[in-house]
Amino acid sequence: MSRREPQFNQQNLYDATPLPKEIPAVTEIGATSAPLTSAAYFIGDRCKAFNDDYMKCKDLSNGRGELECLKEGRKVTRCAASVIKDINTHCLKQFNSHWECLENNNHRLWECRKAEMDMNSCVFEKLGLKKTIPGAPENQVPVHLRPKQLYAAFPGPQY
Amino acid sequence: MPQDMPPAGGYRPVQYKRNVPARGFRPVTYLVGMHLFMVYGYYQLFHGIREQNELAREKLWGRLHVLPLLQAEEDRDQVRRYLADKKREKELLGTEVKIYNSDRFVRPTFAYTPSKAFN
Repeated sequence: MSRREPQFNQQNLYDATPLPKEIPAVTEIGATSAPLTSAAYFIGDRCKAFNDDYMKCKDLSNGRGELECLKEGRKVTRCAASVIKDINTHCLKQFNSHWECLENNNHRLWECRKAEMDMNSCVFEKLGLKKTIPGAPENQVPVHLRPKQLYAAFPGPQY
Repeated sequence: MPQDMPPAGGYRPVQYKRNVPARGFRPVTYLVGMHLFMVYGYYQLFHGIREQNELAREKLWGRLHVLPLLQAEEDRDQVRRYLADKKREKELLGTEVKIYNSDRFVRPTFAYTPSKAFN
């Protein structure tokens, strides 16, 4: 049974109809999970207002958010794309090394602290975006700045 | 007949004690040592759990920051398919049929399958 050819496969049932002309087009973000994980905190730092606006719109539109919040959704996508574009122009080397490290380490942020420190300092210098974890205890060093980590595979100093 | 009597000078003392030397340290040493070992383990565990919590928080907020982006992309795709379905329905039936007694957006359960699928 399991070897039978699927008769309704995705290839044949691909709906490629574009959105109507009156809805403005937006280029999708196009980045895969590792670069997005790597840039997540910078996206959050720059686009927090747009993100909150979009989620609020979805919350308030009573189950019709998909249709009514397209405008806010386009803003969210454009803002995130601008962050990725800026990182690509200014900190491409550090960004690449960080997301490739994440890709090789099962997306575990704590295995890639060295690359992350390089990238964070570069992004803060060039773009002014900062990684802060909301809700973290204030009397401790934030977890991404600790030189010693119990869970990292590499036992020595992390950066 | 004379009764049996103890030998002259009395019986030798009966050896009821085992004559095995006590090995190792005093028992209290083991008790205290085990507790120290466990205290060390719990100390490590405490800090490990604290670090785990912080790592979980970092991962969670990273996800929350990109979540609206992913949701927006998915919603746009759903709306595109929904409008295409509506248009197709209009072409085929000539009228728009309301399936649900509700204004909410419902993700379609069934998909339109063309009689002649294109590749």
